[in-house]
Amino acid sequence: MVIDFSSIYDTNNDLERFFDEMFRTSAFNLRRSVYPPLNVFESDDGYIVDVCIPGIDPNDIELTITARNLIVKGERKLMEGRYFRQERGAGSFQRVLSLNVPVDRDKVTAKSENGILRVTLPKAEAERQRKISITS
Amino acid sequence: MSEVTRKNAGVVPATDIFEMKDGFHIMVDLPGVKSEDLVVDIEESELSISGSSSYAPADNNLRKMHTEFGNNVYQRRFTLSELVDKEKVEAVLRDGVLQLYLPKAEAMKPRRIEIS
Repeated sequence: MVIDFSSIYDTNNDLERFFDEMFRTSAFNLRRSVYPPLNVFESDDGYIVDVCIPGIDPNDIELTITARNLIVKGERKLMEGRYFRQERGAGSFQRVLSLNVPVDRDKVTAKSENGILRVTLPKAEAERQRKISITS
Repeated sequence: MSEVTRKNAGVVPATDIFEMKDGFHIMVDLPGVKSEDLVVDIEESELSISGSSSYAPADNNLRKMHTEFGNNVYQRRFTLSELVDKEKVEAVLRDGVLQLYLPKAEAMKPRRIEIS
């Protein structure tokens, strides 16, 4: 609506759209308190962490791995210009994820696709499940 | 709210709209949306964006430990100004962000009128 400089006769259900968008907008979603949102999966071999960070060049994301923590750090930069609307989050962010099992730091891989970063963290060799054969 | 709007209701994606010297720019966050699942239409003075994300776990056998985001159907409409040259609108989808460039129409650029 802000970018709407069309003639005043062209009302185009603006009011209807206003209410419609207000109730559907992501700002209405109260789960936005932590950024970036992430999903964590576990398999027998390790963890997979998916981080939802659209619009950030993968080279600008800093991933740090300690024995039990994964730290995602970065910055969303604003373009220079005259803003009519600014809804996308901007600024620095950091999120620390604790893992309850040590991971093999040298084998951690990450790739980014369509704004979703996928980090694969294999469990440390000593932590993997092992079948023990019973001898009688 | 009309029935039609409700039926189409999806999530309104976070959007930045800003003006630079060359024209207007619209940036829309669409994480997980592939370019083939995104439609950008201009009809008269309405620009509509709709897309659905196709985010999926690496493997369906994985155990979910923690979930904060999932798939969405994104929908949003904008009314374009008469200042915009609709024929020259460009769209790029990169890293989950749709970048729209809306150049100003040549005729709308400021022009000084000579007084005789």
